[in-house]
Amino acid sequence: MQQELTLQDTIEGVARIIIDELKLEDVTPQTFDPDLDLIDEVGVDSMDLATVALVLQDEYGISIDEDDYPKLKSLRLIAEYVLAHAPVKS
Amino acid sequence: MAKFNQQGTAVPATPEAQAWKFSDITAVDGIREKWEKVRKYFFLRESTYDMTHRCNIDCEGCYYYQGDKAAVTENRDPEQWRQLMAHEKQRGITYVVLAGAEPSLVPELCRVCFDEIPLGCIATNGIKRIDSAVDYQIHISVWGNDETSHRLRGAKNMLERQIDNYRDDPRAVFVYTFTPGNIDEAEEVAELLARNNCRLTFNMFSAPVGYAGGLRHDAASLEKTRQTMQRICAQYPEHVCFSPYNIVAHTHRLGLHDLFSCPYPRANPSTEIGLGRSFRQYRTDLSWDRSAACCVPDTDCADCRHYAAGSAVVTSRMFRHAKNPELFKAWLDYVDVYLAVWVREYEKSPDLCSDLVAPPSHDVFEK
Repeated sequence: MQQELTLQDTIEGVARIIIDELKLEDVTPQTFDPDLDLIDEVGVDSMDLATVALVLQDEYGISIDEDDYPKLKSLRLIAEYVLAHAPVKS
Repeated sequence: MAKFNQQGTAVPATPEAQAWKFSDITAVDGIREKWEKVRKYFFLRESTYDMTHRCNIDCEGCYYYQGDKAAVTENRDPEQWRQLMAHEKQRGITYVVLAGAEPSLVPELCRVCFDEIPLGCIATNGIKRIDSAVDYQIHISVWGNDETSHRLRGAKNMLERQIDNYRDDPRAVFVYTFTPGNIDEAEEVAELLARNNCRLTFNMFSAPVGYAGGLRHDAASLEKTRQTMQRICAQYPEHVCFSPYNIVAHTHRLGLHDLFSCPYPRANPSTEIGLGRSFRQYRTDLSWDRSAACCVPDTDCADCRHYAAGSAVVTSRMFRHAKNPELFKAWLDYVDVYLAVWVREYEKSPDLCSDLVAPPSHDVFEK
């Protein structure tokens, strides 16, 4: 039986994806501030976010709407989005 | 989704029923390499700048002299331009497009921009050579053969002078703007440019708002342009920087905005992320107006097939193209062309996709 995703696990999972895809240095999934503004404080732009969104879709089996990009402003917000859209376990 | 080969014959499409994972798409032969190549340039953040009121020619349908852009005061103080560029850099702009009316007439300002932000492009008519110390990409506008240029732009021997100025210049890309009236001249111009070892890409005349002249494209001219582009691309692959998907995107019955949803501020109210947030179009007095900001202000959005617009509009829609390998290959080819046309020393790779692939949610030959 698959285990339910927790918010903390999802935050770390999303952090790993962002670090890998955007090749961020000097930060780990454990040290990545979940409330950091990815656009204003990390400098993530729309192409970066599109890349991350595509990998998130693969990893979590969710579908992300392009119009939702502006909602994905921090690790925590992304993790909450993932949990809200993750397929329901039977 | 209908798909056609270079001859316009329908070919079997990738089954839509298969939902592709992005990791599977990027694992396909050829895709991974080109994806890694183009994504290194995702850091580019552009804005555009009108440099001067003046021009040394007078072209029919020139975007610069539409609207009220030319009515503002001209700022020619290099120090104020330097401060503007420093401020632009601070807010994250990494790429500048110097245009309107004719940047070669203010070389000192071009130099200031280059000193502050070293990645960029200058849109010029090519009559006056821009010093090689300004190591931006140089886009030289071509509107047909010399006879047509003389009629539409009021200048004699334009091609001859443009080629003399930029032959063998690695910064130079000649931009042939197709109008309904110059399609038949494109092949002779391409031959001349290739013979002189000049690189070439294509633009489409995109009517300014309210334009009532004869240069606006119609269905017949779009189709004829498409066929002409295909022939020229096949004949001069070493000199022409374009891909089959560029041909589809720029000769489609629908304009770029209807096909892809233009993200420039003028057409996009969101200021959250991307071009809607960062892009500005500065006038010669160094002011800017969000409601007018796009790469070719005062163009009729419904008729916009402009090459500069497409470079941002199509490129920014990566997410929509990551649906299956064929569509993503087409998008990668488009981005590869965009980078080769706009970024110094970026080399275009062979196209991954030789077919005419339909844009997301559309057909190639939509009626």
